[in-house]
This record gives sequence, C-alpha cells and structure tokens, in this order.
Amino acid sequence: MDLITSDPTPIPPASSSSSSAAPPAAMPPVSTGPSKPASDRKSKKGTLMQIQSDTISAAKAALNPVRANILPQKQKQRKKPVSYAQLARSIHELAASSDQKSSQKQLVHHVFPKLAVYNSVDPSLAPSLLMLDQQCEDRTVLRYVYYYLARILGDPGSQGLTPGGGIPTPNWDALADIDAVGGVTRADVSPRIVERLTVEALNADVEFHARRLQALKALSYAPSSNSEILARLYEIVFGILDKVADGPQKRKKGIFGTKGGDKEFIIRSNLQYAALSALRRLPLDPGNPAFLHRAVQGVTFADPLAVRHSLEMISELAALDPYAVAMSLGKLVLPGGALHDVLHLHDVLARVALARLCYSISRARALDERPDIKSQFNTLLYQLLLDPSERVCFEAIFCVLGKFDNAERTEERAGGWYRLTREILKVPDAPSAKDIDIETKDALPPKPTKDKAKKTRRPQLLIKLVMRRLESSFRSFSRPVLHAAARVVQEMGKSRAAAFAVGLQDLDEGENINTYSEYSDSDINETAYEANRKVPSMSNGTSGKETVSSLLASLMEVVRTTVACECVYVRAMVIKALIWMQSPHESFDELKSIIASELSDPAWPATLLNDVLLTLHARFKATPDMAVTLLEIARIFATKVPGKIDADVLQLLWKTCLVGAGPDGKHTALEAVTIVLDLPPPQPGSMLGITSIDGVSASDPKSALALQRLVQAAVWFLGENANYAASEYAWESATPPGTALMMLDADKMVAAASSRNPTLAGALTRLQRCAFSGSWEVRIIAAQALTTMAIRSGEPYRLQIYEFLHTLAQGGVQSQFSDMHISNGEDQGASGTGLGSLISPMIKVLDEMYSGQDELIKDMRNHDNAKKEWTDEELKKLYETHERLLDLVSLFCYVPRAKYLPLGPTSAKLIDIYRNRHNISASAGMNDPAVATGISELIYETNKETPADPDSLDDDLVNAWAANLGDDGLWGKNAPAMNRVNEFLAGAGTDAPDVEENITSRPSMSYDDMWAKTLLETTELGEDDRSSGSSSPDSIGSVETSISSHFGGMNYPSLFSSKPAYGSSQSTEKPVASRFSNPSGSSSSLYGDTINEEPPPYTSPVRRFESFENPLAGPGSSSFESSQDEERVSSGNPQYGSALYDFSAGGDDELNLTAGEEVEIEYEVDGWFYVKKKRPGRDGKTAGLVPVLYVSQS
Amino acid sequence: MLLAVLIANPEGNILVERFNGVPAEERLHWRSFLVKLGADNLKGIKNEELLVACHKSVYIVYTVLGDVSIYLVGKDNYDELALSEAIFVITSALKDVCGKPPTERLFLDKYGKICLCFDEIVWKGLLENTDKERIKRLIRLKAPTEF
Repeated sequence: MDLITSDPTPIPPASSSSSSAAPPAAMPPVSTGPSKPASDRKSKKGTLMQIQSDTISAAKAALNPVRANILPQKQKQRKKPVSYAQLARSIHELAASSDQKSSQKQLVHHVFPKLAVYNSVDPSLAPSLLMLDQQCEDRTVLRYVYYYLARILGDPGSQGLTPGGGIPTPNWDALADIDAVGGVTRADVSPRIVERLTVEALNADVEFHARRLQALKALSYAPSSNSEILARLYEIVFGILDKVADGPQKRKKGIFGTKGGDKEFIIRSNLQYAALSALRRLPLDPGNPAFLHRAVQGVTFADPLAVRHSLEMISELAALDPYAVAMSLGKLVLPGGALHDVLHLHDVLARVALARLCYSISRARALDERPDIKSQFNTLLYQLLLDPSERVCFEAIFCVLGKFDNAERTEERAGGWYRLTREILKVPDAPSAKDIDIETKDALPPKPTKDKAKKTRRPQLLIKLVMRRLESSFRSFSRPVLHAAARVVQEMGKSRAAAFAVGLQDLDEGENINTYSEYSDSDINETAYEANRKVPSMSNGTSGKETVSSLLASLMEVVRTTVACECVYVRAMVIKALIWMQSPHESFDELKSIIASELSDPAWPATLLNDVLLTLHARFKATPDMAVTLLEIARIFATKVPGKIDADVLQLLWKTCLVGAGPDGKHTALEAVTIVLDLPPPQPGSMLGITSIDGVSASDPKSALALQRLVQAAVWFLGENANYAASEYAWESATPPGTALMMLDADKMVAAASSRNPTLAGALTRLQRCAFSGSWEVRIIAAQALTTMAIRSGEPYRLQIYEFLHTLAQGGVQSQFSDMHISNGEDQGASGTGLGSLISPMIKVLDEMYSGQDELIKDMRNHDNAKKEWTDEELKKLYETHERLLDLVSLFCYVPRAKYLPLGPTSAKLIDIYRNRHNISASAGMNDPAVATGISELIYETNKETPADPDSLDDDLVNAWAANLGDDGLWGKNAPAMNRVNEFLAGAGTDAPDVEENITSRPSMSYDDMWAKTLLETTELGEDDRSSGSSSPDSIGSVETSISSHFGGMNYPSLFSSKPAYGSSQSTEKPVASRFSNPSGSSSSLYGDTINEEPPPYTSPVRRFESFENPLAGPGSSSFESSQDEERVSSGNPQYGSALYDFSAGGDDELNLTAGEEVEIEYEVDGWFYVKKKRPGRDGKTAGLVPVLYVSQS
Repeated sequence: MLLAVLIANPEGNILVERFNGVPAEERLHWRSFLVKLGADNLKGIKNEELLVACHKSVYIVYTVLGDVSIYLVGKDNYDELALSEAIFVITSALKDVCGKPPTERLFLDKYGKICLCFDEIVWKGLLENTDKERIKRLIRLKAPTEF
C-alpha cells in the first residue's frame, strides 16, 4: 500500500523507481525482525538520498522566488504519489502564496496530512512554517503548524530525528552537515522557533487564547537538556500562574469542569491547565517553595487535568520531602477539602496520584510528630480501596502493602502486611453520597445500589475488603485486569514474606480475624455473609471462624484457576504470585505440578520463563528458608525447558540456594541440583507430551543440547560444591591419612565413607557414574570434579577417588557399564574411556601428594627412632615440597593455602615450626593470583579488591559468603547472571524482549545437523563473548588467565579454549573452516571437535558455559611440565610426537594418522595440532591438522 | 512513563509510532517484539479486546481496531490497567476521526488528523487528554473548555 495516495493497490515497480515517492519497500520492514537484508537498506538509502536532493532543491527554489514555479494543480488531483520533496516544496510555495484561501485548503487537505506520513520533517521547513504561523488565520492550518514546529523542536533520537512511524526519512541534520551548499539544521532553526513560540505563549490577548495554549505546548517539546529554553519555560509557566492561580477558585465542592462559568473564569481555568501541563513536563524542582506552592494550588483548580498534573507533581515531591508537602497541603486533606473531592474526580490517574501522595505522607518518618496529619492521609488512602476503578483500587492496595517503587525496605513491606491483615476501614467522616460522580465506565464490581452502598461503607477489615475485590477481579474477562490482579497477589506475597522474615509478632494467620475488629459480631457476620453469598469460593469462611489463612486459601483457589487463562503472560504472573504466596513450610506439591504442566506448553517464550526463574531468586532472597523448595522448582525448569532458560541465572540460583539451605538443608539442596544427573539422557523427539516432573523434556535437538550442557553444569557444580554441602574438608578432617591405607579393601572403604558422610559419598557415586556413562563432555567434567573432590576431601574419599581415577585412566571397566550407557551417537573414544591423557595429570598430582606423605611418614619415623630433632635443612626441604604441592593443587581447584596440608595433617607441626623460624606468613600465598581468584570465586566476589582475610577462612569458608548473601555489595558487578538478577530485583530495564525463533519449527533436525549448527555458530562467538562472562563458573576464565600469569605470562594451550594459543590468526580459521566445509565429518572428527569446543549456545540469551574452560584444561592437555615445552614451541622449536590412535581426516585441512606414526608438531591451535609427517600417507598429504588428544608429545 | 505507542497494519508495517524514554537502539527491538506479539496473538481477536504482556517491569497492552493493531508500552504508573485506560482513549479517538473501526485506507486518509489526536492524547510520555470532546476541540485549535 502506498502511504501517500492511500491507495491499497501496490505501486508498479516502474513508478516507484521513476518517481521519488517512497516505495513500499521503504517502509520499515519490521516483520523481518532486526536483521534487515542489506539490499533493502540499499534501496532505502537510495530513496533517502533522493529525498535529500529533492528537498534541497525545493528549499533553494523557495528561497529564489524567481525560479519558483507554481505546483501544477492537476497533478495532485489525480492522487499520484507525492514525494516528500514535492510536499516540502508545496509548503514553501503555499506559505509565500498570496492567495490565502486556496493555499490553506491545499495545506489542510493535502500537504499537511500527507507530510505527516513521513517519519519526520526537516528543519529547512521551519522558516515557511513560521511564516504560516504569522500570516495564516485558518485554525486547522495553524494546528498543523504547531504540530510540526513541536516535532522539529523535539528531542531527537540518535538518528537526529523524532521518529514517528510511517515512511522513513533521513537524518536531516547529518544531511545538512554533509551538504556543502549550506543545509539547514535543527540548531539553525530552533532559536527562531523558540523565539516565536515564546512570544505567542506570552500573548495575553483573549482572541489569541487558544493559540497561546498550543504555543506553550509546542514549546514544551524543546529538549530539556537545553537549560536556556528550560529557564525560559519556567519563566513563562510561573508568569502565567502568577496571573491566574491566586484568585478565588470558583470550583464548587466536588464538581469539576467549568460548566456554567463565565468567560473570564474559563479562560483562567484553561490557562491554569496549560501552565500546569507544561510544568508537569519540566523537570521537578524539589526544594523550590514556589514550585511546591503552585503545584499544591493546582489541587483546587477546576480543570480536572490540571488537578491530575498537580497531584502527580506533589505526589512525586512528597516522596522526596513529605513534611513540606504535608504542610503546604494543610487543610486540603480535611474532610470536605480539595483532596477529598479528588475521590470523585473522573480521572483515574489523578486518583492514582492521590493514593501515592497519601502513602508518602502517611508513612513519612518526618511526620512522626504529627500523627493527626498522618492519619488523615491514611484515612484518605483507605477510602481509595473502595474506588470503582481497578487501577486506583490496586494502587491503594499496593500502598497499603508498602509497595511504592521497588526500593522499599523489608520492614515497610512487613508493616504493610500487618496493616492489611489488621486494620479496619472506618466509616468516612463525611459520608456524603457522592458516588454519583464516580465514573461508570469501568465500574467493577457493579455499582452498588444505595442500600448496598451503605453496607460497603460499614467498617471492615482491609483484608476482607481486598480479598473480595480481588476475587471479583479474577472473575473478569479482561486480560489486563487478570494480570494486574495476579500482580497484586504477588505483591501481597512479597509483603507477607517480609513480615515472616522480620518475625513480626502476632502473625498467627489461624486466628479468628473477626476478633480484631471492635465491632459487634452480628455486624461483621452480616458482611461476611454478604461476601459469602457473592463469592462462593469463600464458603469455608462461613463456619463462623474467619481467619487470614482461610481467606488466603480461598483467594489462592481462585488464583490457581486463573492459570487456565489463555494468555501466557497472565499465567506467568499467576505462577509468580503462587511462588510468592508459597510459604516455606507448606506443601508445594500443587505449585510443582502446576509449573510442571505449564512448562510442558511450548508456547512459553523464553524471556517469560527466565522472568519466573528470576522470581525464584527474588523469593529466595526474601526467604532463604525456601532454598530447597525453590531448588526443586528450579529443577523443573532444568528438565522441562533446558533450551529456554538462562543457564547462568539457573546456576546462580543453585549456588545461592545451596548456601542458603543451611547445614540441615545442604544435603537435600545438593540432591535437588544433581537429580538432573540421574535422569536418562534425552532422546530427541521421544519425550513429547510427558508432563511428569522427572521426565526430561527435550523435544528438539536444541533443548537436548541445552540439557546436555545443563548436565555438564550440574556435574561441575557437584564437584565444586560437594565438599561444602558435605562439610568435609581435608584441612578439617579428623582422619589421619594413614587410616585410609588400612582400609585399602575397596568395599570396606566405601562402607566407611558412606557411613561417615552420606552426602559426600552420594555425590561421589554420582560423579563416578557420570565419569563412565555420560557424554564425552560430561565425562571430562566429571573427572575434573572428582579431582577437585579428591583434593579437598580427607580420607578415605581421596583414596577412593584416586583408585577410581586409575581405573578410569585404564578404561578397563568400560564394558561393565555398557548397559548403563546410552549412546548419544558419539564415539566414546578409541580405547577405554578416552580420558586417559586428561586424567594422567590429575593422577599425577595425587601421586605426588601420596608419595610426599609416605616420604614424610618415613622421615618422621626415622627421626622418632633416632630421637633426632629436625634440622633446618630438612625442614626447608619439607616446606618446599609442601609449597610445591600447594602450587600444583591450586591449579586444579581452590584450596585455602593457609590451611591446606598436601602432606597430611601430621605435617602441620613441622611446617609451622619452619614458618615461625623464618617468619613466613602463612597468608603469603594469598597473593597468589590463583588463590585470590579462588577465594573470590567462592565468595562470589568478582571484585578482587575485597581482601579475603586469611584468618577468617576457618570452619566454613563459604559461611562468610553465605552470611553476606543478602548484602547487595556482594552481588558482584560484572557477573552477568547477577546483573540480571539485580536488575530484576530493582525492576529496571526498558529493553525489549528478544524475539525468539520458533524452536519447534525444525523437527527434522538430527543430531548431525545439530553438530553442524553448533560448529557454524562457533565462529560467531567473538572474544568479547568469552571475556564478558564471569558468573560462578565463568569466572574460571579469569583463573585461567591468572594461572597463565602465574607461569610467567604464558598462554596455556587450552583444550577448551577457542582462543588460538599459537599460530597466526589465519591458521586459526583453518580447522574451523574445515568443519564448515564438511559438517558431516566422521565420528572421529566429531570427537576432535568436542574436545575442541564447548558447544556454543544457539540463542544469545543462553550464555555460553565458559565454566568448563577449567584451568585444568590447560595442563590437562599435556602435563605439568608442559609449560616449559610450550615455551619451546613458542620460540619456534618444533616438537615431536607420535600418534596414539588412528585418525581419519574429516576435512581438507586435516591429516590422516595411523597409530604409532611419528609426527613433527608445528603449532597448536584450538585443540588441534598442525603436524607434519615424515612421509606422505596414502592420501599423499604430509601435513595437516589432527586433534591434540590423538598425539602424544615426546 | 508511557514508553511507546505503536500502530501497525496487518503486515506489520509501523504506521505510527511515538517513543518516549526508549533508547534509539532499543526501538528496533521493541518494534519487532510488538509486531511479533501481534502476529502471534491478535488473530481472531474482537475489535478492542485487550491483550496483555509484560517484560521485566514493562507492561504492554495491545488490541486490534479494524485493520490496524495498536500497541502501548508503559512502565511505573503506566501499568497494564493504566495502559488499558490510555488505549481506550486512543481507540475512541480513532473511531471518532474515522467514523468507524478504520480500514487501512481510511486510516491513511485520516493520517494527519490522527497525528494531531495523538499529539493531544500523549504528550511527552504522559497521558494527557482523555475526553473525546476535548480532544476534538483541541485538534481544531480551540480552547480545551470553550466559553
């Protein structure tokens, strides 16, 4: 459709190219989403350039009257597409035309309406518009002139224009700048426009009245960043108010509008309105008594809009300075005063502002000395609970609940709950029947008859009133009303949680609430009866005993039924409300099953699910006791919609909840997280329609992959936190290392272990199973997690893991597990578990620790037998071993250096002796970046400035972290997940939700396709992507760097890192490119790839798990001594190695290998070696890429 | 704050938009999000039936009127119910200007007048006039209350 002619038939392409009218293609192609095709942009650019040149020539033509030719009239009659330039030219010409009448007609009916279709107007039109403004008398023309002047004046976006939809226009200012001939920019014309409008706004001529109002309005569009214009606006507004605000207000009580007023009064009222409207658009000026004075005066004005603006301004001022506002309002709040009139004002927003004003003043600390004032405003606030408009009533409920913005203190919210459940709405002091004025358009509940109105005026408990109102709202058919009602319930839940959190006395919800009321039972029963008759669901209240919990129960019943609403957003809000109303000690089975069945619905958009997930965070923050419950709920998200949720936010929830669960709940919490590991791997497509909570719902490859990554995260999490959950630390273990040796019989060892610490034993078992039966990535991470546990745990766990790792390295028992193993199509490795080379450094460190311990025991025995003291030399040697082992261990996981004893508890005494003798501070190691990072990791503090006090590391390292969780300071700054949580808690953000692609639209995709997709997306992840992540697991990335710096600034070749460690950037691309060219590579090349890369996310919201770029990965690829090796490589010395397994090339860049073949390693990139063979293979190639793990370096 | 008013045709082309307090780089996202929202949900919806959505602390109320779909985005005071009030003002002004629920052609025919109405209804991110008669007067450059 052509916007200009309004002709729905599409313009033939020829006309669009010949004329400069914007073709349909130039409309913003919104439906195609953010990624506009380049070609489209090109054509648009062409159009814009055309507009530009036309405009400029039009402007020149107008400036040069000799050459100005009158626009051919006929052309317009035929409704031909009219270009912007033609319109612009018409304006110039018509403004200069002597024939006012015909030119006005053209302007009103043709030029101005058509011009409006363009996104913006260019500043060069301003002179002509101003000319029209001065000469023209036609009201409609003038109205358009003000409209366009305001648009030119308006605050431009970054594109230099105030976009208005319709046909896109260029950035006029930028064009004018480019144009050497001297284009007109906004800066050129703004002063003239402002000048003209100012003159008009000051014109007190009665004939000019209406224009004066419009001029002031247009002037208010000037950007507020211009202080000069701002000052002028204030001057004009206050000037007007000085003249019109002070006289006696003729407003009759409760009657708004100016019907029947005389001319002078009406003019005054209009000016009052215009001035206050403009003032409302100006920045608030708190502390300025004149501002406050004028704003307060506005409450008494006759114009309803003026009253609204005035109330909005003073409610904002009251939030800043309640005392001053209360004093200026003075008597207006008294019964019969202007504020009471507002109750009957037909303007919803005015009443909303009144509610907020009442809240600010009635809760102000500054007014503690004046309880009378506070109670007057409080009374007014409670009156608003009866408001016929939901918007106003709900705002009043929010205010009663203590919700004002999102920054209230817990105590305020708690007090809010107390008020709601205990306070009573008293009979209004002046119960005049003014309901007549109340608007009827959205009167709900249905307007009561006079008889009924009397009844609702009876004193009532607020909670009963609110419950009844909510129940009736929940029966509404309007989705916004349902959504808002659910939101009110959510806020009730927040206040209730706060009340429990601060331990408000008297919160027994089982108490009969009617005893709170000082009114006769019969009275209350009558209202209760009435309520029950109207609301069947409240039947459990009829038994005579009405309690808060019975009221809540019936409300929640209604809320739950709302989950059947068609609108997914309403459902989400209902779920949030249910989460908030859930208390820690109630059964949450119902909530669980509601969520489980909801999540099975593919209609849920990811952003909404993440919102619910963030709600779990907020709920946890309010009630840490809920940790286990919330984890159970989070688990449903993990299993049902793994592809849609923000994995970072989920992991953050795991971690915070684990800590929040406290000593008793830790075991359960860990179970709740790692139950994910017990689930059978998802089979694409086979799980559709299962709604059980434990069923894995990975109906498409994308979510299958996401689930897989979630499993990896869970494994990582388990390894990282099992010791914390089990409160088992080697450095606190009471069991001496020797004991374990006595339990070498494996069965005894396991029995002993599980009887001593079932949590740790359970975690161990899970990890062991994962190390055998998971996917390749899971197995790697499980091995790493086991190592972490081995290092951190005392005996017999360490020995148990040591044994297990040995078995794993040899891989002999793979077959035993084969029945448990469900293949997901990957090669499990050429021999054994395929983890051999990865595990060997882990075993090595344990080997070293054990041999060090043996050595120590032997030495001690020797000393004891010979009754010799330890010489300083011997102690030094011991200490050096200790330090060396510490360094090694720190590479794998964080341990507290001051306390950790790699040589066992028996070494403590000797080490101490040496340290004391040489004045070595035990905390010296704190400077070790790896350790420092480790601590920051553990306490969630990404800000390294916070000194981790070594002495406070005792007991539970993480206790400090736990205790400080509630403190916002600890919610680090750069962790994206934490940012998201904090942003959510603060209620910030105006960003649009991501438009997700329809994930169910690719049902035919196989795992192979999936991998291909994975690989394709790999390159799109820039370095920014990886450096930005630093939430819990992500921050390992920084460990990686710190470790590198620990080793002389070396970059480690990382198994997982896609950053090229060596080689030119050109060669970096090579292996990846080969993946593209051959996505259906053999299984062995897939194997290589999986080592090479973590699967990157499919969609941007799902962040990459950089977590798994464990520092282990670096040394793990070779051995500890490799740092020296790498140095050699980097200095250009070739390295040699031999092929461990057969490798068949999957792409052109790859090289076939036969096990045992000798190769020369040129460089490593991205988990691949570029190697040269001594002689060409069957394919004739001598050089190419092979996976790192296929080659053993010699 | 009334963050945005958008009117789109059935194909998802934006006919009118008024953004307030939304960074320029976010506008494109909002456009695509809203248009997608409409495409997914507005089929078969009665004229002026209100639909709701929310994202973080931002609320969206939208509806369909004749051939055009109308989207309002707001936050803080402009929650889903306040937006419902605002959208009611807009739809009744549109019906007033067009004489009936507009076809796309009719909408474009009356485009200029519609812009003037919007100018009176939403003023710098705040709802201004809500009264039909008053809006009618103001777009003809008459005083809000006539004498």
